[in-house]
Amino acid sequence: MGLFTELKDSISRVTDRLFSEQEPKRIGIYGPPNAGKTTLANRIARDWTGDAVGAESHIPHETRRARRKEDVEIERNGKTVTIDIVDTPGVTTKVDYEEFTDEMDKDDAVRRSREATEGVAEAMHWLREDVDGVIYVLDSAEDPITQVNTMLIGIIESRDLPVLIFANKIDLDDSSVKRIEDAFPQHKTVPLSAKEGENMDEVYENIAEYFG
Amino acid sequence: MPHQCTNCDRTFPDGSKEMLSGCPDCGGNKFQFAPASAMSEAGGREAESSGRERQSIMAEESDDENNGTVSRATETVRDWVSSSSSKSKTDTDTNSPDTNRYRSWPDGDGPVSSSSAEAGDADDSTTFEEWPDTARPPADRSGSESEPSREETPPQPSSSDATAEGGSERASPPRRSATIEDDEDTAQADARSAVVSPDDLPPSVSESSDTGSEGGTESVPDTEPTTDTTPPDHGRVVSEPSGDRPSLDELREELNDQFESIKIVNPGQYELNLMELYDREEYIVSLQEDGRYVIDVPDSWRDSDD
Repeated sequence: MGLFTELKDSISRVTDRLFSEQEPKRIGIYGPPNAGKTTLANRIARDWTGDAVGAESHIPHETRRARRKEDVEIERNGKTVTIDIVDTPGVTTKVDYEEFTDEMDKDDAVRRSREATEGVAEAMHWLREDVDGVIYVLDSAEDPITQVNTMLIGIIESRDLPVLIFANKIDLDDSSVKRIEDAFPQHKTVPLSAKEGENMDEVYENIAEYFG
Repeated sequence: MPHQCTNCDRTFPDGSKEMLSGCPDCGGNKFQFAPASAMSEAGGREAESSGRERQSIMAEESDDENNGTVSRATETVRDWVSSSSSKSKTDTDTNSPDTNRYRSWPDGDGPVSSSSAEAGDADDSTTFEEWPDTARPPADRSGSESEPSREETPPQPSSSDATAEGGSERASPPRRSATIEDDEDTAQADARSAVVSPDDLPPSVSESSDTGSEGGTESVPDTEPTTDTTPPDHGRVVSEPSGDRPSLDELREELNDQFESIKIVNPGQYELNLMELYDREEYIVSLQEDGRYVIDVPDSWRDSDD
């Protein structure tokens, strides 16, 4: 064990020297609105740092500015990966305040809509330059084959970013992980319920493996 | 829908500059023209020639690798015209106004043997002044989307269509051409001159070649013999020999000004072009309800909000 620890420390020093001036890998949590991205980000952040990332809501576009949780150390099988989690606004091609008017008055709905639109613009911009890997979160109770999903996955692939697809909300009756696996067979799909904390072990194993 | 992306079939209105930076939807850089009003002119060898012209335009739009095709089409056109009554116009230039060719073309019915009735019937000058704007009949395009040898083959369906519809449409060309001619003098000329300029195109000949063979619709230029070394004339498609053609930089600037990555339908209602948002250097930090938005070009990602 002593030898192993020494070896590990030695390797750590080397890697520290190599990467110390670089920030930890930024893993963008992307996906359509209401897929559970913030719930997942909060789950990960709480599990490993004790803090939450942002507020969750059943109303779409609760996250309208990307939020980052830095230096989240995830340890798996003796391997530790340090990542920055970037929780991004849900990406969509249309934002309409009328979606929110049941929940709030019109002015607030319009503001929410506007901010959500700005958030999508930012999220798309960061996808271009500022993330090193992507966790693509999908609501497994919804049809995964949409223009937004196809386009974003395509962009991610074109950038050769490592990507994990998270089939979230497996606690729902309508959930179908297979539908997502079939839609994007070229990528690893991990089923989970971020809300209920189901299958988080596999989630962290895959994060460590893909982004470590 | 005079412009259509050959990849995703998205169409653009005439005079649109959106495609100057590639198709906003799919990023494709190959477009074809399909003017609705060209039907009445599409007949017999005219249709064939327009097909050739369109093909060469496509070739030049998509890439300048297909110079042979372009040149060949040019020569073909020139030959036809030369056989008619406009030799003086055609043998003077290689890089000049196709307008001359187009306009002079109908002066002689010689080349238009198979549709002489229609050609003779139509008002030649107006028809062909209109031509630059409507150079590519839609029927030709629609019938040849998947037909690799369409360049050699006059699109028969379109010909018959045109013949069938010719009688009813013949009355309108003069009016229409006047309007289009006006348009051609302004934004359209700019747009098209930019579209065809090789400077505006991706320099990757090989890549485009690959795409062409995959895409099917673009395969014709690749299969054309490209032994003709006559340099293509860049402005030929536009047929507006204006000396004040704006520079590409200006055009692109204007394009970027005009193109909206976020369309404000109404306050609180937005349509987003994700690909455009992704492609843009700058990003929007504040949307204004008056239709404006504030953009920023960050050096790098900043987490200043938390």
